[in-house]
Amino acid sequence: MATTACFIIVSRNDIPIYEAEVGSAAKREDAAQLHQFILHAALDIVQDLAWTTSAMYLKAIDRFNDLVVSVYVTAGHTRLMLLHDSRNDDGIKSFFQEVHELYIKILLNPLYLPGSRITSSHFDTKVRALARKYL
Amino acid sequence: MTVDPANTSLGRMLLEEISPVVMVLSTPLVEEACLKNGLSFLQMLNPFSSFNNIDVPERTASDQPYRLQKFKLRLYYASDVKQPNLEVGKKKLKEIITQAGEKDLSELCSDAPQISNALVSSESGNPPSWFQCFNKQLVHMVSFSDHEAFDHPVACLLVASSKDEQPINRFVDLFNTNKLPSLLNDGAMDPKILKDFLLVHDNQDGPPDRATKLLAEMRKNPWAPYKSDASPSQHLGCFLNVDDISEKIRVLNQQVSATRKGFRNQIKNLWWRKGKEDVVDSPTGSMYTFSSIESQIRVSGDYAFMLRDYELALSNYRLISTDYKLDKAWKRYAGVQEMTGLTYFLLDQSRKEAEYCLENAFNTYSKLGSSGQQNATRCGLWWIEMLKTRDQYKEAAIVYFRVCGEDPLPSAVMLEQASYCYLLTKPSMLRKYGFHLVLAGDHYKKCDQIKHAIRTYRSAISVLKGTKWNHIKDHVHFHIGQWYASLEMYDVAVKHMLEVLACSHQSKTTQEFFLRDFLQIVQKTGKTFEVMKLQLPVINFSSLTIIFEDNRTYASPSAASTRESLWHSLEEEMIPSFSTARTNWLELQSKLIPKKYRESNVCVAGDIMLFGVSLSSFVVPLAATSFCFGKKTDEWTPDGNKLSEENDNDDNCEKLTTNMDISSDNSLFILSEVDCSLGAGETITVLLTVKPRVEGTLQIVGVRWKLSGSVVGFHNFQSNYVKKNVVKGSRKAKLSPNDNLKFMVIKVYAPLQYFTPPIQPLPEKLYAGTLQQLVLELRNQSEFPVKNLKMKVSHSRFLNIGNRENLTTQFPACLEKERDSGQSGALANSDMSHEVFLFPEDTLIQGEMPFLWPLWLRAAVPGYISLYISIYYEMGDISSVIRYRTLRLHYNLQVLPSLDVYFQISPSPLRLQQFLVRMDVVNRTSTESFHLHQLSSLGNQWEISLLQPPDSIFPLHSLKAGQGLSCFFMLKSCRKLSNSEDTISSISTPLASDVRLVPQGSGDSVYDITRSPLVDFHHCERLQQESSQQGDLNAIDFILISRTLKINADPGFCNAPHLISHHSCHCSVASAAPISWLVEGPGTLHHNFSSFCEVKLKMTIYNSTGATTFVRMKTFNSSSNVGRLTGVNAIQSATPGNQAGWHDVSLVNEIKVASNIPGTQHLIGKCLPVYLVWTKLHQCPT
Repeated sequence: MATTACFIIVSRNDIPIYEAEVGSAAKREDAAQLHQFILHAALDIVQDLAWTTSAMYLKAIDRFNDLVVSVYVTAGHTRLMLLHDSRNDDGIKSFFQEVHELYIKILLNPLYLPGSRITSSHFDTKVRALARKYL
Repeated sequence: MTVDPANTSLGRMLLEEISPVVMVLSTPLVEEACLKNGLSFLQMLNPFSSFNNIDVPERTASDQPYRLQKFKLRLYYASDVKQPNLEVGKKKLKEIITQAGEKDLSELCSDAPQISNALVSSESGNPPSWFQCFNKQLVHMVSFSDHEAFDHPVACLLVASSKDEQPINRFVDLFNTNKLPSLLNDGAMDPKILKDFLLVHDNQDGPPDRATKLLAEMRKNPWAPYKSDASPSQHLGCFLNVDDISEKIRVLNQQVSATRKGFRNQIKNLWWRKGKEDVVDSPTGSMYTFSSIESQIRVSGDYAFMLRDYELALSNYRLISTDYKLDKAWKRYAGVQEMTGLTYFLLDQSRKEAEYCLENAFNTYSKLGSSGQQNATRCGLWWIEMLKTRDQYKEAAIVYFRVCGEDPLPSAVMLEQASYCYLLTKPSMLRKYGFHLVLAGDHYKKCDQIKHAIRTYRSAISVLKGTKWNHIKDHVHFHIGQWYASLEMYDVAVKHMLEVLACSHQSKTTQEFFLRDFLQIVQKTGKTFEVMKLQLPVINFSSLTIIFEDNRTYASPSAASTRESLWHSLEEEMIPSFSTARTNWLELQSKLIPKKYRESNVCVAGDIMLFGVSLSSFVVPLAATSFCFGKKTDEWTPDGNKLSEENDNDDNCEKLTTNMDISSDNSLFILSEVDCSLGAGETITVLLTVKPRVEGTLQIVGVRWKLSGSVVGFHNFQSNYVKKNVVKGSRKAKLSPNDNLKFMVIKVYAPLQYFTPPIQPLPEKLYAGTLQQLVLELRNQSEFPVKNLKMKVSHSRFLNIGNRENLTTQFPACLEKERDSGQSGALANSDMSHEVFLFPEDTLIQGEMPFLWPLWLRAAVPGYISLYISIYYEMGDISSVIRYRTLRLHYNLQVLPSLDVYFQISPSPLRLQQFLVRMDVVNRTSTESFHLHQLSSLGNQWEISLLQPPDSIFPLHSLKAGQGLSCFFMLKSCRKLSNSEDTISSISTPLASDVRLVPQGSGDSVYDITRSPLVDFHHCERLQQESSQQGDLNAIDFILISRTLKINADPGFCNAPHLISHHSCHCSVASAAPISWLVEGPGTLHHNFSSFCEVKLKMTIYNSTGATTFVRMKTFNSSSNVGRLTGVNAIQSATPGNQAGWHDVSLVNEIKVASNIPGTQHLIGKCLPVYLVWTKLHQCPT
């Protein structure tokens, strides 16, 4: 498992709708906003790259010091972004694909307004379990 | 690229930075002469060192000459020709930045941070100008390094003053001193350097002929040993003589061309020499002295570069780079690579090569560690400039990021420049821009450049404004706030700190940290802050409830908080129809009321208005917060002239503060102030009150609160609502929310006052079944009477309105049965449950006399019950704006379970029409004991009696907590066998029969269950417990009356006299079988068998169903002993069509019992049992 990993789902309006620190490293107070900064800035790169390929998984698109940003863009232009320091490319890909499935299940919920914050605790536990499994 | 690389910013920079250096050695007298103008000699000479309008042919190694249009020399004092001290350099950098920071200070104070339109201005491309100074300074930090030749002086200018004694000797001294730069001394460059001589003469000090003479003398003097291979040239400048300036230029021109000539020779020399020694290939150790071939190639390359023969320079650099690489002389290698890249750039060919070379150089420098750091930075800057000229801003930004070293100050500037690069990329990468600005700000902060830190953060805000990335927003605002505070600009600091207060997503410690810092800053300001948008505590403005009394008045806050629709449905029948619309009843007085107020609400002077606002805190507990309302009032007189001018919203705040000193007697209204403290994560509702005192209009402007005694938050309600575009036509439908906050204060002369609570004694807790008398007490203190009282109760099952006589009688004694009275006529009004109760016509409430009216309360079922009572009344004063008002009461009761009563009825085996009733009573309370008083049956002529005397059933006369009990009763029909008409009449008066469960003589008499209110409640219960068999004649109702034994100590209970009644309705006596029968006959019979023996058996068949029943009877006998039915006589003659004959031929007899009586139909058939009596049994002879 990666020591640092921060997973964020960004809606098509660039609003984070789900955030999870999934790293095994001890939590630091200022880590949260640094991770947000990096991921937020990486959106600029995603915006360029997303239209150059038909693949959803964009691989590692940005980096900050030793932290790498990997991104997966769904068809609805929701971006699953992972900030990590591990190099497990296959694991990350699988992680994204399974989270995508979970996200689709959330979308299927008629009570969920697309683009709103994902508050389902079930989703949260599933994502964390996937992170433990793949990252 | 169409642009000439030399004309790009990098090109210009290179022409400026990589140009020949002339070392200046001057005597003190020269400096003195120049100081007259406040300049150093160097400064004075500087204008003559650049040539912008020349056109000189030049020829280096190749035969092809080319022309130079521009040329520049760099002049340095000899003392400066050395590697600059790193610390000094850093200090200079810091100076530049600090100066720039001071310059920006005024901007920092300006209130509004640049908004997103700042993006537009920055896109037009002027990053702070001091960046260039800074970059230049960074480049200069590595000048005069020994591994590069372009900083090595190409010539030496020796200057003496005409005032000097023996100027010629001075020249000699100047060059001989040991002050010469180390570069010349340690062998990095050839000490044999071109020398030029300059004699400075000021015309003011004497005629120029002295100078001319000296010059001539100098010319004569043999200086050959000091000369380099180029021919020396001497010049004289009379600098301060205006006439001489043009001459000076010409002279310098000559000098330069002479120098060039010298260069050319030198280069040629090197070129050929190199060609000669090419084969030798001798790496001469780690130290490359000026005489080593590598150094010479490098020098020749650099000279060629400076003379813009880039082809030549490139070939030189290429040649040498492999050598250095092989020698692992990395610094030199990197230097050569750097120059190669720049040469490629200036040649404008092979962009990739150029980039590759620069990157290679950069990486190589970086690998060298701290020694190469400065060079790496310079190389990075070249690289960046090159990328910028090619519009590769994104790449440039990345390089900027790489240039960042450990030193925070240059890093900060580099990061900031990187951010501008991101801004300039197409499309601009705003988020990267913001991120790098924040990073730069952090670095600035690290080296105490707070002003710069604030500047960068402020720019970042313009990008991050409105972002939903909470952590980012909090971080930026919090730090800006802190930094402003450290600059003692508290106002701005507070403004930014306010943004982070709503941080529910943060951890508890962070929240506490934010709040603490915020309060600290606020305290430092030393004044209370008025803030428009204080986000703490969170106020849910949509929860704003306003309770005011116009024609509706409320007895308690709980009544006021009840939904209006509930009251509406309750009062629907009571209120005159013309007044259902809120505004309509004002129309009568429309002449009195200014038109603009017609839409606003009405409240009564002297009445209190309540406002509920719910607050919630985050994880952090908040200290005491006091709340109050802001509002404005205008007085108006009935003729419509306003007394005071209306203020617009901006003034409201001002007015508000003046209105805050409240509760003085002459103010127009009284405001309440509420102190409250919020626990962690708590949500409370604060009730604020306003009491207008005079007539006029009142508008609620907003709410004010004070957080922890220092910050005043103010919220304008109006700003909360977005103004909607009102479409014409639907205007009336949309009442803007603001109108809900406008009130017209009027005076009402006859308010109905009530005692609190108006209904007494009302308990909070009751046992199920408790029956109690309550009194409604109202009074009216004004001189005008109140009339036309009406009342409506929401749950008539629980609350019953009594008669006036009830007031005088004692409860429960009034219910006791008088011995001789038959049936008291007070029967329940069957439909009163949903009716409006009209008080008697003559009811007038006036003066001091309280108006009392009895009410009956019965707790019908366990649970929580809300009782709503609405009282309508009209004012006697016609002139009043309000014609009528309603008083709304609301009570909550908790009803506890008391006794569970079950009845089971089974037919008696001995008699038809007699039933055994088993009553099971369970005490469901945990502490209470009940005293069972009586059981009454109420039904169709049923009579109930005890099987055993009461003493044997209840030895203790009471039922203890948790105890259960069963007892048996006999139920007998007392109905006479009468014709059908009688039966009908008996239905309407259900007969009650009572059984005392207490022994005779205990003093308690039997209660009459047919009296009001018992019978009324019973009626409700009947309706409630409605069964499917409506009107079943066999149904019977039981009422068990009991009392609690002891006085309850629980304060919630009321110990008023009471009864507990349990109603069990529609118990059916009908058994499972529709037909029941009984054969009666003598038990023993003596007979001598001499004759036929006739035994009279009587069989009674009872049909309890309503339908015609077909009965068939079979007797079983032995074959020899067959009993014959000889005759059947149906007593009931009401079966005319019935074939009543019994045939003895067959053993099977069929009787059709038809109870179909024409006219009475089904109902009659149901309640009319058919009696068939066997009169004879015929014994067959043996």
